[in-house]
Amino acid sequence: MANEIDFDEILSKYRSDPFDYVEVCATHTGTVSFRVGEGGAVEGPSGEWQQIPGTALYQITRERNPKLIAARTNGVVSEIRSELEGQFVEAGEKLMTIRHPLKKKEIIENILKEVLYLFRAPERAKYYFALDVQSRIEKKGARAVTIEAGEEVLTMSLMKRDTPIYYTGEGGVIHSVYFTPGVSVSQGEPLLGICAPEKLPLIQKIITRVKADWDSEQGFST
Amino acid sequence: MEAREFGRVGIAVTVAEVNRQRRIEDRSRRQTWPAADVESILRYGAFVGSAIECHPVLDRAMERARTHIAAMEQGGRSVYNGTVILADRLERSKGRFDRTWHAPAGGLWGCLLHVNTLLPQSRNLISLAVGVACCEAVREMGIAAELRWVNDVLVGDRKVAGFLIESFFSPRYREEYNLIGFGININNRHFPHELQDTALSLAQALGRPLDISAFARLFLAKLSFALGLLYYEEEQGRYDDGGWEVEDHRLLRCWRELATTVGRRVVFGFNVMQAPQYQATVSGISGSGGLVMVLDDGHEKTEYSGEIRYV
Repeated sequence: MANEIDFDEILSKYRSDPFDYVEVCATHTGTVSFRVGEGGAVEGPSGEWQQIPGTALYQITRERNPKLIAARTNGVVSEIRSELEGQFVEAGEKLMTIRHPLKKKEIIENILKEVLYLFRAPERAKYYFALDVQSRIEKKGARAVTIEAGEEVLTMSLMKRDTPIYYTGEGGVIHSVYFTPGVSVSQGEPLLGICAPEKLPLIQKIITRVKADWDSEQGFST
Repeated sequence: MEAREFGRVGIAVTVAEVNRQRRIEDRSRRQTWPAADVESILRYGAFVGSAIECHPVLDRAMERARTHIAAMEQGGRSVYNGTVILADRLERSKGRFDRTWHAPAGGLWGCLLHVNTLLPQSRNLISLAVGVACCEAVREMGIAAELRWVNDVLVGDRKVAGFLIESFFSPRYREEYNLIGFGININNRHFPHELQDTALSLAQALGRPLDISAFARLFLAKLSFALGLLYYEEEQGRYDDGGWEVEDHRLLRCWRELATTVGRRVVFGFNVMQAPQYQATVSGISGSGGLVMVLDDGHEKTEYSGEIRYV
């Protein structure tokens, strides 16, 4: 976790380039056929239950089994490896980059992610707080709940099998909760953002500063 | 490994009896499956019931399993993979989330300790395997049981069994176990008010009481086969990071033959009793055991965690 924050540098970075660059990689081995071109606009999944898939990005065919892969976020295809069209690729091979325009809330979250310790999902699954942590949150609020390394903090639920998840990281208060109970979280996505209690004022300062800067600037997407 | 047996009070199931039931299962399966496959599958599943504890009463079978693992490690001993803990009744049993589970005398209540040596792709299918084993055992009693995703065993529209699978990391060596809790209504006929319209016992379905110990042996033999199938299919190697080829995995085939979920109109929710989310029509089951549904707007969604109720 960073101790010192250079607000000007961070804000300047987002001011000059308020985008995320999302790399799209092959989900598994197979032959690739692109469905979008460079500069094309794409949309992420939508619908109340995220049931409407995003824009089709590419089709990957393995063992005569074609699979259409859709965009997970909105934006513009800023780079595409068109030389891979019709080629066999390995799992994880980078295929394209999507430039995703950041909203104010996302920029604040991104900055916070740079200063919080992020506890990430070990598997794609649904998560909920362990009963003890849940009851402490209900009594005091998440930001008053401290967790330590080795503590059972979450339950991972997958195919009706519940696995206790033990926190591994710096001890601290639960500042940000990135999951919603009942909604799937992809492997590697952050579940919790943790910070030391004494750093809470610093975090609040970041949020206040970014919001103030936004309110006085017109150059950001909101 | 030397098989061990513990006290016999009320329910009485021994390792030797389960082995005998497994041999019956072997002969029965050979009528429809290739003999070499059956032999291999049951060899993989032979760990089920390697040790059996029978108790007159426990607070919770899962808790007893955790205590047992911790005590064995503390004593510098190994836990028998496949140890089964049974109790005539449970006093503080619970279902998923904060649901209570009614476990009086007359039911089959217990827990299987499984050292997790499965690949992640197979681990996701444990829930389905347990449901398949129970449904097959109930059908062998002459009762028309069916499966509802993930592993609810229904007779008509009433539930006769429930399962709870929890991972557990042993305190000393951090070995990962799957604690497979099971509760099957056998001869118990009285249910709490909130379960009266949704629960049923096998005795009620059959119109006569059953031998609980005999049913336990049958269930454990079926569980040997179903869990053995997971290892057997790993050996066949028809999987990748995304799961299994759906047409190939034999456990998924078994599940589909017993299930009435595909084609049904359902309400889905992570905790469907407290927070139903949406209605849809089930179109199939994915290679990872996920439920594939078509929503009213025609779009497809696959869920890997949650519950359904038929509409």
